[in-house]
Amino acid sequence: MSIRHGLLALLESGPRYGNQLRAEFESRTGATWPLNVGQVYTTLNRLERDGLVKPDGEDDSGHALYAITGDGRAELRVWYATPVDRQRPARDELAIKLAMAVGAPGVDISAVIQAQRAHTIGAMQDYTRLKAQALTTLEHPEAGSDDLAWLLVLEQLIFQAEAEARWLDHSEARLVRVARSAQARGDGTAPDRGRRGAARDAAR
Amino acid sequence: MTATPVLQLRQLARTHGSGPTEVHALRPLDLDVFPGELVAVMGPSGSGKSTLLTLAGGLDAPTSGTVTVEGTDLTTASRRDVAALRRRAIGYVFQDYNLIPALTAAENIALPRELDGIRAKKARTEALAALDEMGLADIADRFPDEISGGQQQRTAIARALVGDRRLVLADEPTGALDSETGESVLAVLRARCDAGAAGILVTHEPRFAAWADRVVFLRDGEVVDQTLRSDASALLTPGAAQ
Amino acid sequence: MSGPLSGRLTGWRAALRIARRDARRHKGRSALVLAMIALPIFGVAAADITIRSSDPSEEQQLQRDYGAADGRLSFPGVGRGERPVYQHPDGWDAVPVKKDRGGDAKQRDERPEPSDLKAVMPPGAHWLSDQRAATRVRTEHGVLRVHVRELKLADPMARGIATLLRGRYPKTTGEVAATQAFLDSSGLRVGSTLRPVEGGRAYRITGAYELPGSLNNKQLSALPGAMIRTDGSKPNDGVDRLGYLVSVPGAYTWDMVKETNTHGIVVTSKAVLLDPPPESEVPFYRKSPGMRPGAYEPTSDQALVLTIAVTVVGLAILEICLLAGPAFAVGARRQRRQLGLLGAQGGDRRHIRSVVLSGGLVIGVAAAVLGLALAIGATALARPLIEERLHTRFSSFDLPPLELAGIAGLAVLTGLLAALFPAIAAARQSVLSSLTGRRGVRRSSRVLPIVGFIAIGVGVAIAIAGATLTDRVEVVGIGSGIAELGLVALTPFLVGLFGRLGRILPLSPRLALRDAVRNRGRTAPAVAAVLAAVAGSVAVATYTASVDQQRRDEYAPSAPHGVVSVQMERGTGRTADRVGDAVEQNLKTTGRADVGHLSVGGVTCGGLSGGGSKCGGATVVVPEGNDCPLHYGGDEKLSAAERQKMMKSWQCNPPQTPHIPMMAGMDVLVGGTDVLKALGVQDRQAYAALERGHAVSFTQRYIKDDRITLAVFKKEQDYYNADDGDPDTTKKADRTIPLPAHHLRGQDEIYGVNVLLPPAAVTKAGLDHQNFGAYFRTDRLPTDAETQALSSAFNELNVNPILHVEKGYKSDSNNVLLALTLFAALVTLGAAGIATGLAQADAEPDLRTLAAVGAGTRVRRTLSGLQCGLIAAMGVVLGSIAGLIPAIGLRKAEERRKLADYAETLGNGWGGEPHIPIAIPWETLAGLLLVVPLGAALLAALVTRSRIPLLRRGEG
Repeated sequence: MSIRHGLLALLESGPRYGNQLRAEFESRTGATWPLNVGQVYTTLNRLERDGLVKPDGEDDSGHALYAITGDGRAELRVWYATPVDRQRPARDELAIKLAMAVGAPGVDISAVIQAQRAHTIGAMQDYTRLKAQALTTLEHPEAGSDDLAWLLVLEQLIFQAEAEARWLDHSEARLVRVARSAQARGDGTAPDRGRRGAARDAAR
Repeated sequence: MTATPVLQLRQLARTHGSGPTEVHALRPLDLDVFPGELVAVMGPSGSGKSTLLTLAGGLDAPTSGTVTVEGTDLTTASRRDVAALRRRAIGYVFQDYNLIPALTAAENIALPRELDGIRAKKARTEALAALDEMGLADIADRFPDEISGGQQQRTAIARALVGDRRLVLADEPTGALDSETGESVLAVLRARCDAGAAGILVTHEPRFAAWADRVVFLRDGEVVDQTLRSDASALLTPGAAQ
Repeated sequence: MSGPLSGRLTGWRAALRIARRDARRHKGRSALVLAMIALPIFGVAAADITIRSSDPSEEQQLQRDYGAADGRLSFPGVGRGERPVYQHPDGWDAVPVKKDRGGDAKQRDERPEPSDLKAVMPPGAHWLSDQRAATRVRTEHGVLRVHVRELKLADPMARGIATLLRGRYPKTTGEVAATQAFLDSSGLRVGSTLRPVEGGRAYRITGAYELPGSLNNKQLSALPGAMIRTDGSKPNDGVDRLGYLVSVPGAYTWDMVKETNTHGIVVTSKAVLLDPPPESEVPFYRKSPGMRPGAYEPTSDQALVLTIAVTVVGLAILEICLLAGPAFAVGARRQRRQLGLLGAQGGDRRHIRSVVLSGGLVIGVAAAVLGLALAIGATALARPLIEERLHTRFSSFDLPPLELAGIAGLAVLTGLLAALFPAIAAARQSVLSSLTGRRGVRRSSRVLPIVGFIAIGVGVAIAIAGATLTDRVEVVGIGSGIAELGLVALTPFLVGLFGRLGRILPLSPRLALRDAVRNRGRTAPAVAAVLAAVAGSVAVATYTASVDQQRRDEYAPSAPHGVVSVQMERGTGRTADRVGDAVEQNLKTTGRADVGHLSVGGVTCGGLSGGGSKCGGATVVVPEGNDCPLHYGGDEKLSAAERQKMMKSWQCNPPQTPHIPMMAGMDVLVGGTDVLKALGVQDRQAYAALERGHAVSFTQRYIKDDRITLAVFKKEQDYYNADDGDPDTTKKADRTIPLPAHHLRGQDEIYGVNVLLPPAAVTKAGLDHQNFGAYFRTDRLPTDAETQALSSAFNELNVNPILHVEKGYKSDSNNVLLALTLFAALVTLGAAGIATGLAQADAEPDLRTLAAVGAGTRVRRTLSGLQCGLIAAMGVVLGSIAGLIPAIGLRKAEERRKLADYAETLGNGWGGEPHIPIAIPWETLAGLLLVVPLGAALLAALVTRSRIPLLRRGEG
């Protein structure tokens, strides 16, 4: 998530002042990533420093306008063209939680998974409801690109949650299988091996 | 949801085989589905999802417990009455090949009504209305192999709810479809439930289950958890995500 | 919501719609079943239309008989015209009102001259002379016997009797018209000159016509008096009822007929024929109560015919059901998903049944329409051909609506019946298993094999009992029928047994066999259908072949193959020599052997017609001990063992007499060694014996101690009363002449000749002999033209000898056997083809798997060929076994009955031991067992696409 590039993208369609940029950013992302005006102006200053934007006078009401520079446009092109880096996964609390739960005494890892899954799917239900509303809105003739952007963001959330739910399903199935084969062999080393296996899974 | 449930399952259980080969496909389970409600059933393969659906529609008989559809107990009704109930109260939507290849889309929708003795003309009028409502008016006279998978599934939903039917039992209705088309099918199902129908959706896709009002998790024939839809606005509070 | 009845109907409507569309979607399968049902329907409907169209209505028949006239006058010959008669309403018999005074009442037909009729006919009547006779005329090839009808066909009153084809009807007494059949046969044409054999007159043929009701009638038509002589000078033979066609104002009523009867004239009136008078008004019946309608009804076999018809139709329907059934069964199986969906949408068993049944209904109706349409079209197109074959013009193109509707109904019924069991089976399937579409092997019924075994046991027991304990052929038939049904029921089990062979086979046949055995549901009905068809064909073929063998064995030739024999019934000596010369002149012969008969009392005595009161006769005596001791009640003196032994002895088994033996002397022929040569005798000693003046006895019956004994009677009456088996013959004879004789040995056939005497021996014995005929050896059989020329020559000589060309045994069952083989082969191909097609459809996933693991593209072809061949082979093997048994049983039962008859007739002194051979029709069997399965396999392999089609969506 890059506020820098988000602001550049908004400025590409014309000069804007700080508060205007904040409002537009929130409407596009459905307030999923709320910004404060301070954040906006700090970022604008940095962009100006790097020569990517420049002040562009004032509007009638006296707001200081910023416009994108040629370098700014080039930077934006590069950003669009570059895939989002997945080399260093974000530190995920859930992954860490599961990795810790494997083999931890007195922890029912299935219950942990199920609780998380119910929560995740619950969230998905909510997102889906919003999505259904967005879909309805999108059918209106006056629906704009903001509505479409909102829908895409919502769907990103849904798919991310789905990925999490699927990963939970997979982890659960994996745990069940490991437990079964351990039971079948009847040796006590299984939990240990299981922990390592599960941990590796979690880290991935 | 103070109305009487359309579908009521009480202590419903199904066992295959006996003795050492006994398999509990479904352990005693209670479930109510009210008008306007879409319930998703999730779980790994073999968890009893499809069994639940076949029992709810009277295609299979439970080992114990009762299935009540619109006030009629399927477990004590005669085979003929169950068939009649399927014509009048229960609609099925399967993963694919839902439509009878020898009949056009409109005729497929009219089929349960015609089987029920409604005059062909009236049944056709109803079918055309149902298709129109789904935005499928132009495929009314096409055969199933001449329309797309999504159109087939939407036609199947239309058929499932034609006439007075209020209960849709959908078994992986999006399984054979791509993501976008699956979505549109679920949107239709959602819309039909919002309009007052009751539905059970068996799926293993969380994304599709998320269209439901309630998600029931089955494992080894047992309900392990349920989610209810919370207020979506809660999500929109700053900082709720990430 | 409507009532239950309309609900059922709407359900059917949806079912019909599905069935109709499905039939269209699966064109191959539909076409196969359609053809199977439509083909017999086509045959039956075409036959029905032909029969109905060629069978004229009563009015039409009357028009063909009497033209536009109201009736025909005839003269019963019970006296001269004025004597009143009572007549039968039909006019075919009459009795005089008063008993004839007897004496020399003229028995000949006489007819009053037209002038006499004026007085006795109703006012306003017209009449037209009409008489018929037979005469002989010269043709391009020789002499032909034809009918002559002297009737002015050009007269309006005769309209409708004949149809003029070319030229015109005769106008003068020097002209005749001829039927096309006559012209075709005689080689004459319109414009040719026609010369009758007698009378010396010549006629010009002015036109060709045909008789609509009998196209093959060789008839001439001339003006009255032109050809037929009634004056008795040289009568044409067989002068028919002379008479007049008569026309009156209005109809010739029964009252008018009775009035005419008072003048001794019989009237055949159209009006009376169409509307017969009540019995009370027919005085004729009082005179001849036996002629009363209903007094004598020929014992019709209507019940039998009906039974046979019902059986045949029933079997045909069963056969079609067996054939079409599996098609519907697999159709229903491939529809499983669809039927499951129907169930999920609330269709109950009734609806599912109705969908499958509708398939039968749709195909049945289509087959009915197609079969009828084809039948009507084909009959209309082939009408001229059919008319020629039937020798009658269609009276109209008749489409009997009720009968055709019945035939169409039969098609629909067949379709429904074929779909019935699949429908019931499909409805029994649980919706869930239909939906999940598990292929799985259906366990075959355990009850069916048990029922099959029991039925076979009971059936065979009945058949064996029928064949051994009783001589009731029906019992054998019923028993074998039950056994065969049992075998059909057992087919799934037997197919299972075939599966055991699988282990030893290479991949493709093993796969084919396994598949066939695993899917018994479709294999067994096809095998059963083949089984039933083949069993039926083999049974009939075996029976036919056995009867044929029996006839062949019983056939007694009159002479060796190709030998021409001629013999005179009357007139011997010089005439016989001239007849012989005529044969030599007209046929290509390579040797002549004159034969004579003994004459006692003068050279004119003897022969077939005897000679007169002055003549006597001579016969050969059967010596004591050479006669069958069982005859004349002799068997009572013998023990059972002796009787059994004697029954097989030569004494009691005389050689067969040919149909046309050299008859003249009954048991003695007079001739030289050329006769032996003509008869193909190989025995050198016989030639020597004859040259030495000894007799040659062809049978052992007359010879004892190298001698035969002639018994000579001076009075013909005594001769006729003498019986060659009577031990007292010698005592009754006026003279006995012992003669040295040689017993001819090593001869399979004796051609009806008993004893051959050389002329020298006859003279030495003081008897006379006369030639009466001759044998002629030939290189080749005479042609038809040669025989016509010969009969023309005989005609010149004014003789009518019996001419016989020995052509050997002519079997008329070859066509039957061929037809049966073809029928069985066709059914087999059909059944195996259907089953293979269905197997192919079923095996699609397997084939894809095979292709996926790298099997060559030919595998598919090989597989379907093997599957088809396998089904054909299983059905044919089982069917052949099943067919042989009833046929053998039938023959055994027949043998028992004949033996019983034999025992009974032995006491009466005649009859030989019955010969009931059982002949296996090896050619038919070989064709069925080898050629048909091979052909089926090849055909299936040829028509199979070797490419495996991609998976299609929506295949239920």
